[in-house]
Amino acid sequence: MSRKRALIADTFCLTKRRRCAADSVTDGAADIRSSLQYLMTLFSRKLFNDSLPPVVLKHQLYSLHNDKTSVDKQVNELRENGELLMFQLGFDSEAFALVFAEDYRTKVLQGEAGIETLGTVEKFLAKLIPGCSDLSFNKEQMLKEFLFTDPEITQLVKSGVLTVRDAGSWWLSIPNSGKFIKYFIKGRKAVLGMVKKSKYGEILKTELEGRRTTSQVKFQMKYHIHDIMGAELVECIQTTSGTLLRCVDGNVN
Amino acid sequence: MLSFLYARQSGLDDPVRLRRAESTRRVLSLELNHNRDVDRIHGNGINTLDIEVIDGRYMLSGGSDGIIVIYDLENNSKKPQYTCKAICTVGRSVCRHVHKFSVETVQWYPHDTGMFVSSSSDKTMKVWDTETLKPAEEFQFDGNVYCHHMSPVARKHSLVAVGTKDPKVQLCDLKSGSRIHILQGHRGEILSVRWSPRYDHILATASTDIRVRIWDVRRASGSLFTLDQHNGDKSKASSEAVNTAHNGRVNGLCFTADGLHLLTTGTDDRMRLWNSGTGENTLVNYGKVVNESCKGLKFTVSRGCSPEFVFVPCGSSVAVYGLHSGELITMLRGHYNNVDCCEFHPDYQELYSGGKDCNILAWVPVLRQPGIEDDETNSKRGGTQAAINPAFEDAWSSDVD
Repeated sequence: MSRKRALIADTFCLTKRRRCAADSVTDGAADIRSSLQYLMTLFSRKLFNDSLPPVVLKHQLYSLHNDKTSVDKQVNELRENGELLMFQLGFDSEAFALVFAEDYRTKVLQGEAGIETLGTVEKFLAKLIPGCSDLSFNKEQMLKEFLFTDPEITQLVKSGVLTVRDAGSWWLSIPNSGKFIKYFIKGRKAVLGMVKKSKYGEILKTELEGRRTTSQVKFQMKYHIHDIMGAELVECIQTTSGTLLRCVDGNVN
Repeated sequence: MLSFLYARQSGLDDPVRLRRAESTRRVLSLELNHNRDVDRIHGNGINTLDIEVIDGRYMLSGGSDGIIVIYDLENNSKKPQYTCKAICTVGRSVCRHVHKFSVETVQWYPHDTGMFVSSSSDKTMKVWDTETLKPAEEFQFDGNVYCHHMSPVARKHSLVAVGTKDPKVQLCDLKSGSRIHILQGHRGEILSVRWSPRYDHILATASTDIRVRIWDVRRASGSLFTLDQHNGDKSKASSEAVNTAHNGRVNGLCFTADGLHLLTTGTDDRMRLWNSGTGENTLVNYGKVVNESCKGLKFTVSRGCSPEFVFVPCGSSVAVYGLHSGELITMLRGHYNNVDCCEFHPDYQELYSGGKDCNILAWVPVLRQPGIEDDETNSKRGGTQAAINPAFEDAWSSDVD
């Protein structure tokens, strides 16, 4: 293979190599925000009757940007500024959901309108949104730091903002997200099945985007494609006809 | 390259800079070379490789058949085509002291090649004399010995840390033959042990209880600290997974050459980089590093390059990652079956990898081609030596005549 391109370190490149069209966007915190906004548009709101804020998974960002470490760093920056909230979804210890703080607040208050737990939930959101970037809370923290009482904590769990993690500690969660997780897992399995069943177990990304979604797949195809690419459930190979997704053996998630 | 040489000559640059730049270029061009071969002696998979540190000339390999082989890596013939010959073998027919079951780890004595230590699933660890190929000492254990390591920098002690099926890490002293020193703290089998290349009293151990502990062997009490993947942020993990290094069994450990960082790999398909002084997770995201190994995985870090590289066996290929950037540089494909171990030769920037297909493959840097017709030289130097002026290029004639 004499025509193989050699890997070159930056120290030796006097002239910048021409980047191929499929290369990723240049970095910058603004770029992560715009990628997040783009991914949020892929989220189907009316599926949940507008009761859920648009949810994006953190690993979907890895499919848009090359450098995973800088993506992680920028996501953490946004979380520290209080613009973004991260949730542990529960079906995979590495899958984190991201929601813009403003969207979260509007949807939660919208869902709580008219119910007596509204006051407690507002108090909790006021404590949470600027500044607190924890994924889970334990009893001590809730009682001492946030000054909630036991019945108030029960109200928060009832409203869906907290989910039980184990005795005395709770995960932060999105209310009504159970349906989301169910559809998500079903859709992911169906899309992976589509890739596996294609001839040779591989399919071009553009072709997969054009396929009709089965009844199992409730979200947009692009949403699922970003998910399986970012979670490395399929191998992404750059070809002259675009990105090829090849099924990775032994991965039934 | 010429600019580096000129800068060094005129004193603008540190001499190390030229060396590092050239080592990095060589590592980036690692490739399977059909001129370089390693003798195929093992009949079963190869579990471990070790290159001696003094000359970098002799390599030890231990296989699943219990056989240990010593190879001479130096090319004394004047021809480019070279097979690394096996100089001697500790095999079944030759030696009655041979290990009965698979050899899990071998290591040269760090200060000279007169001795090497091997540990095996037959629950023994043997210290061999290289001249006579007979064991000078044998240590018996209660369970399978998964790994052992001798400190590469130790002058004051000659302790061998042994990881077995037992959750206690045993330290065997080569000078006296005693093994009374035990490190307690793990709750599962110890899959990997490593001494720090910076301090001779710091030891890292990895176990099936998904924890990695760092020990100071001079202290009588327990470990110094446990590596925590969330850096103390208890809210991220589920409550059982608090204070763990990975989400699955930790089966590979490697210190970087300066001893400041530690890499760990686990069966949760992740590789993590830690600051070895504080135990902090540097949160470099390598992505999915496929890891299905039941026993220890032996991987290695390059030495002497400017961005350091990690070579990790991933299935049937070896993945090369940038150490601090986390990006996958390339996958070295060539083995027919799972790769179990790899070892980096720092003087020649070569990589030797061994696997279940009983082959040891040598990955050698591609040399610079002298011809100007070659595209590769142009791209390396930055495109100023183009053979054809673009104004004279046309679409129908070709370079190759």
